[in-house]
Amino acid sequence: MGAEPAAMTPPGAPLGAPGAASSRALLEVEDLEVTYGRSRAVEGISLSVGEGEVVGIVGPNGAGKSSTLRAIMGAVRRSGGQVTLRGKALAPGRPENIARLGVAMVPEGRHLFASMTVKENLELGRLARRRDRRPRFDDGEVAELFPVAEEFRDQRAGLLSGGQQQQVAIARALLADPDLLLLDEPSLGLSPTAVAAVFSALAHIHELGVSILLVEQRAEMTLEFCSRSYVLVGGRIRFEADRSTPIQTVIDSYFGADPSARSELRR
Amino acid sequence: MTEERARVALPRPGRARLRLGAEVLGPLVLVGIVALVGAQLSAADKTDAINVLVTTVIVVGLYVFIGNSGVISFGQISFVAVGAFAAAIWTTPVATRDATMPDLFGFLATPRLTSTESLLVGAGLGALFALAVGLALMRLSGLSAGIATFAVLEITYNVLANWDKIGPGPTTLADVPATTGITQALVGCAIAIVVAFAYQQTRSCRLLRASRADPLAARGIGVSIFRHRLVAFVISGAICGFAGALYAHELGSISVTQVYLALTFSTLSMLVVGGSQSLWGASVGGVLLGVLFSFLSNAVNGTTVLGFSFTLPNGLNTIIFAILFVGALMLAPRGLTRSREFLAVALGERPPRARPPGTIAGRSPGAEVPLGAEPEPSEGTPTSGAGESAHTGPPR
Amino acid sequence: MTVVGYLVNAISLGALYALIAVSVGLVFAVLRQINLAQGEVMAFGAYSLWLMRSLPIWLAIVLCFAICIAGSLVLQVAVFRPLRGASALATLIVTFGVSYGLEALWLVVFGPNGKPVSMLIRLNNTVIGGAIALRWITIVDIGAAALLLGGLYALLFRSSLGLRMRAVAEDFSTARIVGVRIERVVTVAFVLCGASAAVVAVLETVQTPLVTTTLGLSLIVVALVGVVLGGLDHLGRATAGGFIVGFVNSLLGSILPEQQLVFVTSLTFLFVVIVLVVRPAGLLAPRGVGVERV
Repeated sequence: MGAEPAAMTPPGAPLGAPGAASSRALLEVEDLEVTYGRSRAVEGISLSVGEGEVVGIVGPNGAGKSSTLRAIMGAVRRSGGQVTLRGKALAPGRPENIARLGVAMVPEGRHLFASMTVKENLELGRLARRRDRRPRFDDGEVAELFPVAEEFRDQRAGLLSGGQQQQVAIARALLADPDLLLLDEPSLGLSPTAVAAVFSALAHIHELGVSILLVEQRAEMTLEFCSRSYVLVGGRIRFEADRSTPIQTVIDSYFGADPSARSELRR
Repeated sequence: MTEERARVALPRPGRARLRLGAEVLGPLVLVGIVALVGAQLSAADKTDAINVLVTTVIVVGLYVFIGNSGVISFGQISFVAVGAFAAAIWTTPVATRDATMPDLFGFLATPRLTSTESLLVGAGLGALFALAVGLALMRLSGLSAGIATFAVLEITYNVLANWDKIGPGPTTLADVPATTGITQALVGCAIAIVVAFAYQQTRSCRLLRASRADPLAARGIGVSIFRHRLVAFVISGAICGFAGALYAHELGSISVTQVYLALTFSTLSMLVVGGSQSLWGASVGGVLLGVLFSFLSNAVNGTTVLGFSFTLPNGLNTIIFAILFVGALMLAPRGLTRSREFLAVALGERPPRARPPGTIAGRSPGAEVPLGAEPEPSEGTPTSGAGESAHTGPPR
Repeated sequence: MTVVGYLVNAISLGALYALIAVSVGLVFAVLRQINLAQGEVMAFGAYSLWLMRSLPIWLAIVLCFAICIAGSLVLQVAVFRPLRGASALATLIVTFGVSYGLEALWLVVFGPNGKPVSMLIRLNNTVIGGAIALRWITIVDIGAAALLLGGLYALLFRSSLGLRMRAVAEDFSTARIVGVRIERVVTVAFVLCGASAAVVAVLETVQTPLVTTTLGLSLIVVALVGVVLGGLDHLGRATAGGFIVGFVNSLLGSILPEQQLVFVTSLTFLFVVIVLVVRPAGLLAPRGVGVERV
């Protein structure tokens, strides 16, 4: 897969220094907690994404990665902590409002509207556009980036292959013209070719100035792609890694720190 | 050795049995009090006490199925209806039957039963009818079960109201021996409570209750939900049929509208308000709301309280019940007793943490939770991931 | 009457039930909730026509729409919103309780004897006399239903608002993530329900000019039967189911002799039970459509 475009970090964006990022942070998460009934999925984590940065979250199954992302989006209730976008607190519980502030999410499993055409799916993506600014990219650019979206315009989204669906899902998110793109396991269930296509598109999106927070189970690929990555195990951030971190260190942390993480739970 | 020490020294199973005994005593004492108080009252008020007891039998009958299985049924009053009409017809003097229901089938027209026999027949027919219905419907749950059982109620009503070969049709069958007094009602109520309680101790019921919490897991370990539901449904049908027979003998007459929607609604309200998942809840609901129901029904016809005589407009009694019913479902789905059994309430034990079933208590994400409809955090709904936890929960 | 007359009448009653069914289907599509209280909104509308009997007809009808829409929205805020996330069955039970309570409220407020609404009674006059016996109301019935259902179809499939509604119906949480303002969509759905309730209230009072307390539940139960038979999960099928139930009921009503007619209710509900057991996704659903069954 194309890893080198990820090295392009817009000027001024901090690299690997979360403390320094706070002054220019786009997204800041502090002490986030998510609980489902009595079980705690996320136990007080803090992270940040700088303007134009690509940040990853890796961890084993059930580490709380998706919950973190969904809590940022406001799609699950958080039991503690704060999420701010450019210093402005994001109120939980109304993802539609957060979407309209410039945060777009590609949910795990794509979640296209299967009975609708690709065109209709993309049209829904445009809903969250902010009216007070010119969009960062026009439809043509999105079409260029994701030829699938153009080719199968009038096809029902549910009939596309997994890789094609993922492309449409990302295109849908992009059409909202987000400042921050949240991706939940974009490689899940895709063929290696499709994964490569998705990541090269992401690299391109990053070049256009969109910040990315990427949740992935594939640690090696994510470490390579992102400027920094948080290693999330058992609902807590164990440490922060970057391209220079040996992958073995990450893998070890999955099992070393928290034995409960060893039980691979079916998602 | 003092008695106290002997009790402490009891081996575990014995102590558990003791606890069980105490558990069933709560509901029994409660209905006993109703009977005792009722016995002291004037003839008119005594009727109300009898009615409270008979209604409680129905609520206990509802509980046996709805409470234990977590599946709603609007159809149990059908079994009450069958029991009521069977008991009424077979105990009415043959001459009256010939005069008022000339088209009756032969097997209905001639035999004459005593009231006691008719109670057994009512229970038996209720069970039989429930078996027939249950065989067809017990694979359904959630919304389908709700609608299908409602359909059963409609069919029963429609047939009873129009088929003059099996009953009085739309007219009232009078001349039924009014043999349900306070004693009979109390004994009937006690029998229903003991049966419900004994059933609750069986393995079948335990498995059913377990399946209520997690149907998929129960099926995964090979529990036949269908069979255990059917057992509960039939026992419930028997109690309801029995209650119907008691009811007919209480009123001394019966017409089909008395065992239809209004009774369904009032008894369901009692179950929900009392606490749909415990026998104690059903008993408390039946007794408390039964008393309220009698009071309101009297008030509609004009009543006197503490020297004030007043008359409520007709319909207000139903409105109050509707408010209680809807209010309980929306604000306190586990009811007044929080669906705990008597001892847990008496000893101040904490309620079980298990969620109420999604079927009657709306809040919980059961199998019927619509996809993606999360409870809105901003509305102050209790934290429940609404299916979210199923795939993003931590590995514990 | 001739066969043509029977058929036209059947279409007209089917259209009426289709209008009720579509409101139930719409709320189910958007929120996965069963709106049994829709019947009482219709009853409320019908009673409001009685209250406004001295007003000019056009004004009464306009106000009836406003009243039904307002009633529908009040129910959405007071009943349906607190029940978000609860099971569909829970909403069925609660709205059953609400309907039952409202029915009793009508009894208290309007009394047991029924209220005559005769403002549009002229519509019962025949257009074509003789064998066919076509009445104006039949035409108005069919026309109003066609207009409303056609308008709804256009709204759903030809407008941006409709696209959003369909998105919510298909995947509630993803729709929110892409920025669909859910409350607006829900509000629109309940406004549509209120409008359809008003139409039904007006048409029903023309055909049966005596408004009684049981008007709501008796209509909604039959419509719900149709929705279940057609397929709750699919708005088009639900509506078609409502139409078919009305159509068949009317036809049987004209053909069967009195003493057999009384058992039509039983047959209908027996049919419902069989469908629920054998084809839980609805009769009109394509084979292989699964439905939750535990």
